[in-house]
Amino acid sequence: MNPLEILIEYWPRLLDGTLMTLKLTILGALIAGLVSPSLALIRVHAAPMAQAPLRLYVSFMRGTPILAQLFLIFYGSGQFRPTLEEWGLWTFFRDPFNCALLAFALNSTAYQTEILRGGIMGVPQGEIEAAKAIGMSRPKILRRVVFPHAYRIAWPALGNEVILLMKASALASVVTVFDVMGRTRQIFSRTFDFSVYLWAALVYLCITAAFVLLWRQAERRLSRHIHAPGMPRASAQPFKESQA
Amino acid sequence: MTKPETILKAEDIHKSFGRLEVLKGISLEARNHDVISILGSSGSGKSTFLRCLNFLEIPTSGKVTVHGEEILVKNGKPQNVRHIEDIRSRLGMLFQQFNLWTHRTALENVMEGPVQVKREPKADARDRAEALLKRVGLEDRMHMYPSQLSGGQQQRVAIARALAMEPDAILFDEPTSALDPELVGEVLKVMQSLAAEGRTMIVVTHEMGFAREVSSEVVFLHEGRIAEQGPPDEMFTHPKTEVFERFVSKVK
Repeated sequence: MNPLEILIEYWPRLLDGTLMTLKLTILGALIAGLVSPSLALIRVHAAPMAQAPLRLYVSFMRGTPILAQLFLIFYGSGQFRPTLEEWGLWTFFRDPFNCALLAFALNSTAYQTEILRGGIMGVPQGEIEAAKAIGMSRPKILRRVVFPHAYRIAWPALGNEVILLMKASALASVVTVFDVMGRTRQIFSRTFDFSVYLWAALVYLCITAAFVLLWRQAERRLSRHIHAPGMPRASAQPFKESQA
Repeated sequence: MTKPETILKAEDIHKSFGRLEVLKGISLEARNHDVISILGSSGSGKSTFLRCLNFLEIPTSGKVTVHGEEILVKNGKPQNVRHIEDIRSRLGMLFQQFNLWTHRTALENVMEGPVQVKREPKADARDRAEALLKRVGLEDRMHMYPSQLSGGQQQRVAIARALAMEPDAILFDEPTSALDPELVGEVLKVMQSLAAEGRTMIVVTHEMGFAREVSSEVVFLHEGRIAEQGPPDEMFTHPKTEVFERFVSKVK
């Protein structure tokens, strides 16, 4: 079979895998994105002893292979099946998709927390003082001043993290989740035609390209006050730290 | 004539950073329409004192009263923390580095306090913000970001931002020190007009001209204490202390 015939015959499965990959990546990144801001605040403000457990978690997630983390959750949960059944959690861990999602969310949370921490530390202190001086409450200062700056600073690095997560999601195929990689291996085992791997690569490439485009649009919006027209770039001096 | 009411009162403010005692018991009272200039050489504690008034710096001990609301501080712990935000919203503050919110336009900067802190309707806040920006001469810069404005323009936006909160008093922390010499005048002019309309102001400054001609009272800090205090004319022509005399001759 030539590569085109492979695509014509198997595109529904590849599409199915693509949707699964997107689902895993988006959900994983989103869960991490919801949890990481509070963790990042703890990393910035909490006393060293209070954040020790958090640092341990981050070190573990960043210091071990994501495949090992996936196996730990997928096979590990099997070991503790009686306990998990007792707690009513077995239905969750029985599904490999859930295990993969949990592993990716936990992993990405660690990375996103550290990325955001850097962003928060880069917020101009004077602007926080100005917000305090006008009588803003702490939560409001976070929402109106700290996080808008922190996300602008962290945005490119966060985009990188999402792309890495998307590619790491291919590991889910190892625990029988049928994402792009899972489907591709399935097709290959039937056809023994390696060209299906090329199509898989193309799918990943397209997802990444589309994502980068979207992310860059958002970045432009977040930093529009820096690249505003009518003033030489040099006058934007308080923003030297922005990583383009 | 009855005395104008007291707007702000600071009593026996002490502040230490570690073992270094920066403020050694300073008391100050600002009545309605007072314009008080705080002078002193660098390290005299004048900025620290000003920042203690709205608790950007928490004093080690002392008492601050703004319009009847008082906060007592003992051992570096304010007794009623809940009032701090309230007191801050009643005191405007200007910074040496302007500290505008760089991700918001001039107009948004001025609207932020009324909308977010006082919960005014957006339309009202916008109308007033536009009027205030016009007042400081920036009606054609309203939709620009701080990065597109000169230092003097930024500081004028910051003044409008402080005025938008309708403060009982405004604190100025060396508002012209970071400006190019040719931009100092435009900011001083706005400050002068504020004084003329009877605003209560406490100004930490190096501008002797402003201290002499605009303020109603001058306070000279030296090594964490008030060394000399009084009406500017008298103080500048007949300094009572040697330290102030030396200071005056040096800055002239």
